Amino acid sequence: MNFLKQMVITTLICLILQYFLPWWTLVLGAFVGGYLFGETSGKTFLAGFTAVGLLWLVTSLIIDIESQSLLTEKVARLFPTKTPALLFALTALVGGVTGGMGALTGYWSAGFKS
Amino acid sequence: MRLFKIILSSLITLILVYTLNRGWNLGSPIPPLGKFLDPFHGFWQNATDQGTASKASSIPGLTDKVTIVYDSIGVPHIFATNDNDLYFTQGYVTANDRLWQMEFQTHAAAGRVSEIIGKAALDYDRRQRRLGMVTAAQNAIKSMESNPVSKAMVDSYSKGINAYISTLSYEDYPFEYKLLDYSPEPWSGIKCALLLKSMAQTLNMGEKDLEMTNALSLFGKDMIALLYPDREKVGDPIVDNAGNWKFKPAPMDSVPMALPKELVSLTPTEKSPPDVGSNNWAVSGSRTATGSPLLSNDPHLQLSLPSIWYIIHLNAPGVNTMGASLPGSPAVISGFNDSIAWGVTNAQRDLVDWYKIQFKDASKKEYMSDGTWKAATKVIEKFTVKNGEIFYDTITYTHHGPVVFDESFHQESEAAHFAFRWIAHDPSEEIMTFYKLNRGKNHADYMTALDHYASPAQNFVFASVSGDIAMRIQGKYPVRRNLEGKFILDGTNTSTEWEAYIPNEQNVMYKNPARGFVSSANQYPVDSTYPYYVGGMSFEAYRNRRINTVLSGLTKATVKDMMNLQNDNYNLKAAESLPLFISYLDKAKLNDTEQKALDVLSSWDYYNNIDSEGASYYEAWWDELMPLIWDEMDSAHVAMRRPTTFNTIYLLKHHPSLSFFDVLSTPEKETAAEVVQKALSKGVAAIEEWKKKKSTAPTWGVFKDGFVGHLLRQEALSYHIIHGGNHDIVNAHSRTHGPSWRMVVSLEKSGLKAWGVYPGGQSGNPGSPYYNNMLEPWTKAQYFNMHFAQTVEQLGSVQYSISQLNPAQ
Repeated sequence: MNFLKQMVITTLICLILQYFLPWWTLVLGAFVGGYLFGETSGKTFLAGFTAVGLLWLVTSLIIDIESQSLLTEKVARLFPTKTPALLFALTALVGGVTGGMGALTGYWSAGFKS
Repeated sequence: MRLFKIILSSLITLILVYTLNRGWNLGSPIPPLGKFLDPFHGFWQNATDQGTASKASSIPGLTDKVTIVYDSIGVPHIFATNDNDLYFTQGYVTANDRLWQMEFQTHAAAGRVSEIIGKAALDYDRRQRRLGMVTAAQNAIKSMESNPVSKAMVDSYSKGINAYISTLSYEDYPFEYKLLDYSPEPWSGIKCALLLKSMAQTLNMGEKDLEMTNALSLFGKDMIALLYPDREKVGDPIVDNAGNWKFKPAPMDSVPMALPKELVSLTPTEKSPPDVGSNNWAVSGSRTATGSPLLSNDPHLQLSLPSIWYIIHLNAPGVNTMGASLPGSPAVISGFNDSIAWGVTNAQRDLVDWYKIQFKDASKKEYMSDGTWKAATKVIEKFTVKNGEIFYDTITYTHHGPVVFDESFHQESEAAHFAFRWIAHDPSEEIMTFYKLNRGKNHADYMTALDHYASPAQNFVFASVSGDIAMRIQGKYPVRRNLEGKFILDGTNTSTEWEAYIPNEQNVMYKNPARGFVSSANQYPVDSTYPYYVGGMSFEAYRNRRINTVLSGLTKATVKDMMNLQNDNYNLKAAESLPLFISYLDKAKLNDTEQKALDVLSSWDYYNNIDSEGASYYEAWWDELMPLIWDEMDSAHVAMRRPTTFNTIYLLKHHPSLSFFDVLSTPEKETAAEVVQKALSKGVAAIEEWKKKKSTAPTWGVFKDGFVGHLLRQEALSYHIIHGGNHDIVNAHSRTHGPSWRMVVSLEKSGLKAWGVYPGGQSGNPGSPYYNNMLEPWTKAQYFNMHFAQTVEQLGSVQYSISQLNPAQ
């Protein structure tokens, strides 16, 4: 349950932060999620990773569909990724890892207070 | 332990964010992945399936309300109430579509690419500075600013660009800024000047002074006259006004030029490719279906994305003009207004010289001029290099111009120094020409406008609603002594310098000629009775004759006829040379595939259409023939240049035993017939190879493999296209160069009508459908109605969106 809660709160905070602020502020959202709901380091990392990874994946997918993949295909070919699928995966991975690390830092900080 | 964990994970997170927030160079550059892939701000934000949306904005710097109607192909129609707001808005909307390109091109002109790309571009940058590009732009902006009208234009245009830049945050940056991880800098007038100088560079650098000097030393004067005649044996100059040049030419001393006797072992500057050229023509109302003049223009340049041109419509009290503009310069360059239309092709005149400098000593502080030592100027140029150290370069300037090559830059085994003299270094105010053309009402206004124009020299075609047509080859031309400028010049003696310039009114021009049309296609400009020596780069020999043949045959010309002619794929060069080549073949020696190729060639109609296999065989044959014949030049230890296409064919026909037809790499001694036969074998072999690889028929469209490349040379942002034509053909699309803008104007009294197209789109954003929406129509000879109008209301039916810009309070 806490896993889900962490994901929801992380997604919400990150969505709001990212709307106004640079990409790396997602660390703060993930941190808060991990701080409040983290259970084990592994689960916390995974929840942070999944929340931000999904947020980035879904947002980029929506843009891709709305723009009829015009740019996705070009950028996929610019990168060693070559295919759009791998570009989406890379996008989710970059957001996810950063989110996971933020969450983990939050979880360990929470442990420190008790 | 807990504290350690916190510190550790914080540290890892920080390092992760740092790593993903900056670009890296791992063999090839990688953008900052976090920033770049972030769907809220990164490249994803550049993806759209829409054009510019309707909106109302308050913009600081405007003095009054401006309305912009975007039509269905993304052309902005700007309606302002005064000139300053008009050019402000031109800057603003052009930046909205093309900001990255505008800045990148001016960085390239100014030798600042290393700031963006890194040290790979340093050599290119140094060359740009050493050619004096920045000095040239500074001289130009000084003269633009000395005229209140052009100053206001450039200032307003720059302010508009800066107003646009100030609205941007990272997520709005054009795609390429994100990819290369940098930010736009403020625009200023010097960048407008740099852009115009870079166009001059593209069009003026076909000179071959060093190469000709080498050829003179190695082959002698008579052979030079045979290989590189000043005037080839082909008719149809742009202006044929024989016996009617009734002015007194500017006097020059008649001391014959001393010809140089040396070999120059420099690798010369990059040349304008021979397929940079253009077509334009105007047909008098006496020869058109409507009774009104028709005007056409298609400038041939390297095709690139974002596109070279940007279509714009500028309306304010006193001006209503439309056509192709250059992103980075105010006004319309090739276009029309309610009363007149005009267009440009390159004049190909020799406006570049190299002077051999005698320095007093290795310090290069003084050089000889008329028996005294003159002080040279040293300029230190600073280069900021991305991910590298700042680089300083010292450039020596003489009164002729900069010494481009020296011990620190590509001097190789050359000991002598050469100063670079280029007309574009001189102050000039071309922008006034376009200001006045945009507002011109008649032929007299066109003439006044052109008086301001110095460089790069252009053939300006003209037509008016009132019924006049005209051509004027306008530029600032030094009065040349015979052969002057063909070889390197003696820099120690001022008598070899440019002393006088041809007065504007003595330039080559005419109005309403009896034949009922005017045309230019980069050919030799004038009949032999013109009293000045005309030196030039390679003059064109085929397109111009084809155009004149077709125009002569039209008595009721229509807009459709003009479009057909711009897209005409008839290969006059092949029609003139292929029968000769075939007659040279020893048919008994042909193998099976060569025999089949010959059958295809024999039944070919000389049209380079996309489905033609004959065209592929002919072009493959020709592409092997040139290097086989001129192997003496290609393999020489010093730089040399091949003779022209026309002269090569002329020599094959009339001098079949010329020593150059011998192929150096073979023991036997070839003549014209044998070299032609060898080239056929190689050409056919090349096609067989191609067929094996592609496993498809070698039709011309696929075989040519037309390519429109992004300015960053990224294949993923570029397009391969299937299109006919080639160099030397009216539809002058070689693999990478071609008609960068096609315009046809019908100057009807009931209202001027115009059509245009270019290979690309109005948006410079690779994530927009308007990035390449005109590319395919361009390959299919389709045109877009320019929707030229006088009021916002008239555009109602073609309106895609409408924006209102209001002055900020």
